[in-house]
Amino acid sequence: MDHLTHDEFFIKLAELFSSRKNKDHGKICLTQKRFSYGQDIPEPSAADHFPGLNVDGPLPVLIRASNGKSKPRRADKVKLSTVVEPSDLDAFYGRYAEVCKAGMLALKPRDRTKRKAKAKKKKGGAQQTAVAS
Amino acid sequence: MPYYEKSEDWLRESALLLQARPATTRVTTKYHLKPARRLTKEQKALAKQQLAADGKKAPGPAPAPATTTAVPTKPPRGHLLLKTFDPQSGVALKYKTSKAAEVTRLVQMLGTLGRRMAALPEVAGAGQQHDEPMPDAEAAAAGSGTQTPVPTAASTPAAGASGQGPQPGGGGKGKKKKGKR
Repeated sequence: MDHLTHDEFFIKLAELFSSRKNKDHGKICLTQKRFSYGQDIPEPSAADHFPGLNVDGPLPVLIRASNGKSKPRRADKVKLSTVVEPSDLDAFYGRYAEVCKAGMLALKPRDRTKRKAKAKKKKGGAQQTAVAS
Repeated sequence: MPYYEKSEDWLRESALLLQARPATTRVTTKYHLKPARRLTKEQKALAKQQLAADGKKAPGPAPAPATTTAVPTKPPRGHLLLKTFDPQSGVALKYKTSKAAEVTRLVQMLGTLGRRMAALPEVAGAGQQHDEPMPDAEAAAAGSGTQTPVPTAASTPAAGASGQGPQPGGGGKGKKKKGKR
């Protein structure tokens, strides 16, 4: 499968997130790793425990996204991938954060009820002490 | 396969793992939706009361609407699972959260890890903690029964170059307030 451009990737990722909007099940997997295709890094051996440590220069990063549908529902599977060049990393992650934040709507919003209750309690307590004195 | 309590700990250990095996380590972010089926005790009691009340009033088709009104009060819950995995050594480091407030920070962390994957130098002013040799972490990694990449990672000259200063502590504040009352 071909890699998408960043714009396409973000559009499709937003679509993927919105497909789970107002649903009560499902998952979205995002993966990132070094783009090491065609580099022929050897398996670790007794002589060299950590191959891949000495590479010359920055390498691109591969970002994948999927909706996690496997075998029985393979037809519904959505797979997106894009390659981010080292120079674009900061810009990419900025947009990535925006898309993720906008898409992950089912996470718990910041809980303000406790703080409110506390404030009320404090107010009530102050009034009580005023009355007592 | 440890779950970390704090995302900072997860980031630090993941960075060390990436330093040791930059070519094979991958970071997976799983956003997971689940129907909220579990009711709290109060909700259960309330539903029961409603059921009983409805049953007294109208012993016919009343119970069905009572349950349907009780269920949609809770929206489905999402969870976010971050996992750093290296297939060659079998090390997996995880962090799980359900708070929306953390998403932006976590993606920033993914960004710092992405820089490491790309073999770029770290941003000095990024505010992230740098690597320091941590005996605890080494012990933990050894205890998980996997070949630990931590010692070599810690002994590289890049480690701990500028991370010696006191870390900006944001965690202690809430506790202090609680103690004062």
